[in-house]
Amino acid sequence: MSSCSIRALWILNPQDAVVFSRRFPVVERRWRLACEKEKESSAVEDYRYSAQPLLPTDVELASAFAERKKRQGSARGFGIRFSQSVQGSDSWVDDPITRHIITLYVNGEEGDEFMLWPLVLHTKGSYYILVLPFVGPQQFKAYVRLFTRSDCGNSVGEECSLSSLLLNLPCITGAFMVAHTVGDMVAGDVQDPEVVVSSSPSVGGLLDSLTGSIGIPSISARAKPVAAPVAASTTSGASAAGNVVIDTPKSTSRPIDKEALRTFISSSMPFGTPLDLNISNISAIKTNGFSSADLPPSDLKQPAWKPYLYKGKQRILFTIHEFINAALYDRDEIPDAISISGQLNCKAELEGLPDVSLPLTGLKSAHVEILSFHHCAQVSEHGEDKQALMFSPPLGNFVLMRYQALSNLDPPVKGFYQLSMVSEDEGAFLFRLRLMEGYKAPFSMEFCTVTMPFPRRRVASIDGNPSTGTVSTTEVSVEWKIITSGRGITGKSIEATFSGTVRFLPRTSQRVPSRSMSVSASVVEEDSDVEQDSSGNIVNIEEYLTEKMNKDLQAVDLEEPLCWQAYSYAKVSFKIFGGSLSGMSIDPKTVSIYPAVKAPVEFSMQASSGDYILWNTLGRCPFAALATVH
Amino acid sequence: MAFLLERPHALTPPATMELVSMLTSIAGVLEQRVPAVTALLKVQFSGLLYSYDPILCHVVLMLYSRFSDAFSGEDERGIARRLALVARETHHPLIFRLLALHWLLGLPRLADGKASLAPLTPNFYPTVFDPLALKAKKLDVLSCIAASLDVSRGEGKEEEEEKEGRKAQVVKLFEDGLVCVSAFKWLPPRSTETLVAFRTLHNFLIGVAPHRNGSSENSEIGVLMDSTIFHTIQSMLVSLALEHHGLVPMIATFLDRLLACKAHRQVGEWLLQTLDEHLLPKLESGYQLVSYFPIFERIAESDTIPPHGLLELLARHMVTLSEKHGPDTWLRSWSQGSKVLGICRMMLKHHHGSRVFLALSHLLTFTCQFFPDLEVRDNARIYLRMLLCIPGKKLRHIMNLVEQPSGVSPSPHPGSLFQVPSPRHAQDLKKSVGVSSYIHLERVIPLLVKQSWSLTLPNLSNGDSKSSYVEGIKDISAPPSTEMEGEGEVDIERIILPKEPLRVMDSKVAEILGVLRRHFACIPDYRHMPAIKIRIPCRLRFDSDPFTRVWGAASFALDSEEVDGLPALYATTITFSSTSKYGSIPPCRVPFLLGEPSRTGFDIVPVDDSCEGEDSSFRASVMIELEPREPVPGLIDVAIKANAENGQVISGSLQNITVGIEDMFLKAVIPPDIAEDRVPEYYMDLFHALWEACGNSANTGRETFPLSGGKGAVAINGTRSVKLLEVPAYSLIRAIERYLAPFVVSVIGNPLVNVVKDNGVIRDVVWGEDSENFADSNVGALVPYSDNVPLQLPYTEGESDADSPPQVNKRNMGIFLVLIFLPPWFHLLFQMEARFTSAAWQDFVLSAKDAHCRIWLLITMQRTI
Repeated sequence: MSSCSIRALWILNPQDAVVFSRRFPVVERRWRLACEKEKESSAVEDYRYSAQPLLPTDVELASAFAERKKRQGSARGFGIRFSQSVQGSDSWVDDPITRHIITLYVNGEEGDEFMLWPLVLHTKGSYYILVLPFVGPQQFKAYVRLFTRSDCGNSVGEECSLSSLLLNLPCITGAFMVAHTVGDMVAGDVQDPEVVVSSSPSVGGLLDSLTGSIGIPSISARAKPVAAPVAASTTSGASAAGNVVIDTPKSTSRPIDKEALRTFISSSMPFGTPLDLNISNISAIKTNGFSSADLPPSDLKQPAWKPYLYKGKQRILFTIHEFINAALYDRDEIPDAISISGQLNCKAELEGLPDVSLPLTGLKSAHVEILSFHHCAQVSEHGEDKQALMFSPPLGNFVLMRYQALSNLDPPVKGFYQLSMVSEDEGAFLFRLRLMEGYKAPFSMEFCTVTMPFPRRRVASIDGNPSTGTVSTTEVSVEWKIITSGRGITGKSIEATFSGTVRFLPRTSQRVPSRSMSVSASVVEEDSDVEQDSSGNIVNIEEYLTEKMNKDLQAVDLEEPLCWQAYSYAKVSFKIFGGSLSGMSIDPKTVSIYPAVKAPVEFSMQASSGDYILWNTLGRCPFAALATVH
Repeated sequence: MAFLLERPHALTPPATMELVSMLTSIAGVLEQRVPAVTALLKVQFSGLLYSYDPILCHVVLMLYSRFSDAFSGEDERGIARRLALVARETHHPLIFRLLALHWLLGLPRLADGKASLAPLTPNFYPTVFDPLALKAKKLDVLSCIAASLDVSRGEGKEEEEEKEGRKAQVVKLFEDGLVCVSAFKWLPPRSTETLVAFRTLHNFLIGVAPHRNGSSENSEIGVLMDSTIFHTIQSMLVSLALEHHGLVPMIATFLDRLLACKAHRQVGEWLLQTLDEHLLPKLESGYQLVSYFPIFERIAESDTIPPHGLLELLARHMVTLSEKHGPDTWLRSWSQGSKVLGICRMMLKHHHGSRVFLALSHLLTFTCQFFPDLEVRDNARIYLRMLLCIPGKKLRHIMNLVEQPSGVSPSPHPGSLFQVPSPRHAQDLKKSVGVSSYIHLERVIPLLVKQSWSLTLPNLSNGDSKSSYVEGIKDISAPPSTEMEGEGEVDIERIILPKEPLRVMDSKVAEILGVLRRHFACIPDYRHMPAIKIRIPCRLRFDSDPFTRVWGAASFALDSEEVDGLPALYATTITFSSTSKYGSIPPCRVPFLLGEPSRTGFDIVPVDDSCEGEDSSFRASVMIELEPREPVPGLIDVAIKANAENGQVISGSLQNITVGIEDMFLKAVIPPDIAEDRVPEYYMDLFHALWEACGNSANTGRETFPLSGGKGAVAINGTRSVKLLEVPAYSLIRAIERYLAPFVVSVIGNPLVNVVKDNGVIRDVVWGEDSENFADSNVGALVPYSDNVPLQLPYTEGESDADSPPQVNKRNMGIFLVLIFLPPWFHLLFQMEARFTSAAWQDFVLSAKDAHCRIWLLITMQRTI
């Protein structure tokens, strides 16, 4: 089984031009040898689909990428086989993952055409990052078989499926990690996990520790984002509103610091083999080098991911940060769906290489379902209710643990939202919400805002006054600030109602060009016969309007959970301090450090909203079946 | 290495991966000797599974897939559970959640069917906020679980219950799974939700009988048909199509995908059958029906489904369209009518003619008669014509031409198949030149005498083709024709002016005039109304081999069956023109003609009558209709235009058709008030009246007779000639019976009557018994010839006998009276006298070849103008 090697890496800008590329001749040589060996052993086959010992130039790659983008409707492609899919294209494979692991046909300048697979595609900012890992010609062929299969495709569980291929290709996983890391560098958002302490709102990460202790202030300027105007804003309003997944491209970008990137690549993946993808560590080493003071103590086995040891005042900080996703329906037949994903961030300012042990208890009552740990952690027992954690903390802030849980408390914002279109351009709405019901001190809600997005209408005016808070409108949304920052509520619950009328500008029949599925959209025949008739059959004006609105709905990307624009809903955002919604907690007293040192343990908790949606009780709503345990 | 093995946590995740990949190769070698090494690796690294770093997860999976023996069942379950959970972790980027599901599905034990994911099912239920890609993948896993539940069969009675339970479970999994994309029912059909939903349908369906490596035949297809999921999807498709007609195109695509797959084609057809059986009866005809057309098309294409149901529905639909047609719906009528015809076309393409013939011809007949839109009517007519005229395989072939153009630019829409192809094909002069050498238009009845000349085009090179068919009569035709030359166009206007006042007539003359007036009143005046037509039956055929050489083979010439390999002509139009005065000759159309297979030693020239009935596909009968302005023989130029199978236009001229004088021979028109049994007498009277009118032009010469239509009139002007033929009587009678039987008005003279009656060919004529009287009274009257016309007696030896006929009265056998009408208003009267030259009648009968039998033949020809 081969490990992870990278043949080449490219970064393309929104105009499909290569702005950065890096090839690894050592890996390429291995690939060439493998190809030759393969060629000897196998019969002559279609040149187009055979593994070629070639690597495209930047221009060739850029044009191949642009060509694919044109053919497949978007950079990612369709991902699912549909009526226009053709044999020998990614969507033919009929798996959504082909939007991330793509194929390119390269038309070489010397007239040779060859196929490049697997190209790992990651978008960050407005950049496309393509990473080509080294896979054996055998596996390449296995994919070509899938890619050109003549049958109806994709039955799970068959031999030589894409799944077993991916299982046996750790290099793809590695390439994704590389792509994400490079993406973070390109976009300049190298974020340290937030660790909150009571004294100061946020404590800096590794760099602060380093600069604080070593005293080089210049590094911290590195990550300052530079705003650059970029035309390619690809996200719709709804998707921006409804997503916490880090995968969505951001609309800001900045020029790439090529030098920094080059340095990073050469130190993180020497000869194309990724060894350390921690940006902070690499740049710290690059900047600081090692002094004699940094020599590791001979009796300790210093891990590779901890190049420097902390020196100074010792303490250890923990923060639980939870995101709550909720779909609130206020309907009898559909239960509300609430889930919490949380993480335990840690900053251990401890000298030497101590081991910290942290018992986790009460997991069952916290309804914790999934626990994942940082690689420095070792779990000595996996109990259902109790887990003992032993870790040797790295420098700086890190996520010690991630978990998924169900909510232990009632949702912090309860109630309903109703919107009814009384005419084509006018809707009556009603909110009745209860905030922080059943939450006692020290829970405090810092802010709470309700947004009604109308991405397909233009808001003209709004009538009505809320019982509390202020209302503002933008062109495509209405925003109701129930609790504004600085006036947070602690230990009490409030009730908020808001009824009124929202008026829209008359609809102009503008058609937004669809993004990804433009090909399919244009091909689907609009049958005037059907449309005429369907409009005649509907008596209810509301249904009629919905039908009318839905007709020109654009298909969403596969990365979206649902077609946001098809529904009316209100999105709630808030932040709560003073506790975790799941009930997950740690007891600072039980934290023990070996070798024992006297270090204070600080702990804080906060929760904020992810996708927290109040679906219009009078409209359609998306839902999913709940699994019942058999 | 020992250091690293001891503290794997000291490495960064990518470095750990490097280490493990090295270790696996080492352990792979060591495994044979030191089996414990794999267990050691497992213990050291399996803890990494709980890391949130995907690389570290994959490290464990690497070990597992390489050394799966070292992992116990418990470990495996742990790995599976962990992967299921990773997919649920929302903080992971989407790609890693997708990868986790892929890893799970790729686990070797799972692929073997040794492990089941069923216990983990709740983890794969998609949640509302899962990205659609993840939903799709989770649904894949659910389909996998459902398939394993569906196919695991239990035996024995106690397992029946369990089986029922599993069935319910499968349905529940399927329905629960689809809930998360249930918006596909009302979102536009192009939405991503819809794509995901139908992808899920597909995966659930074929999960029961997945593709096996390399084999196109699927042995488990029967299992699929019995499976719960198949039945569930069957009924679901029907209700989906009924309730959400917007989804019909998606259902069609879904079916297409199955139909295109070798392994699952059968499934697609079963589903189509289901739709045919259960959906069609529930549909009502109306404008809404159009949204179901995509499904109808699939049904029409499938030859496993009997097309009656669909055709009946479509026929009802056409009726509804016609009924609902109003001023504001004609665009709709057109569009829907065309679409229905499109489906009909597909039926023509994919079904055996016999299967669709009845229902389809009803539908098309209705359409081409009653449908409000003209274009639809036209197209329906064309389809109907093709259905009726072109044999099945050729029809299916040309219907497929649009899709597989060979040399012709593809037509933008089906209707244009019948439009004139681009002109560049039409002007293929080189190919058109030799058309007449392999496409033949021939007379069904050859002329007695091959016409070697034309009156107005004197030099046409047919001179060498002398007929030797009937030697004895060969000289007859030429002389009377030359007579007509001078007559050309007679100015009728001049004639109808009465130059002299009417004279007193006796009763006999009055009777004659009455008969003549009555007769001429039946003859149409071609200048004012449709003229009398003569018809020349012809046959069109062509030779396959030379045709194929020139125009290229049909694309499926390799087909083993003979008929398929033969070329065919489509939509042939034959146009005629002539320098002779035949009026305008309407063109003839032959919708379809198959080339004659080339047979060795097959001689083209002789007319093989038995061929006619053999296969009408090889020979098309063509009827040339002439409206002669004067009864003259002539030539007709023939031009042909046709489509070859590959769409080329064949055009060129064929051999001329000769028109002989005998083509002009018609029976006189019978006035409508003559009873059928009185016809022979009428003809007899007419014959005598005409004979009289010519003979005694003094009585009738100044008389004019108005024609039908009332505007023109004609006068009678006779020309008479006498001929002597030296042929055996037997030949004469044979020739008359063969060629002139319909025109014989009367046979007079006992010996002759006896012979003719015995032969039984000539019937319904007036039989004159008294030959002696007749001969005495009439023959003499024939002797004084008309003085203004030169008598032509071609035989020099006859010169000496010229005065003998009156002398040999006693040897008179009898007389034929023949009345021939020549359009537009000419007549030919024959009085043929057969005489014995030998004394013995018996001699004549017994020795027909006897050259001593001499017969006098007297021809009197009269022409009226």
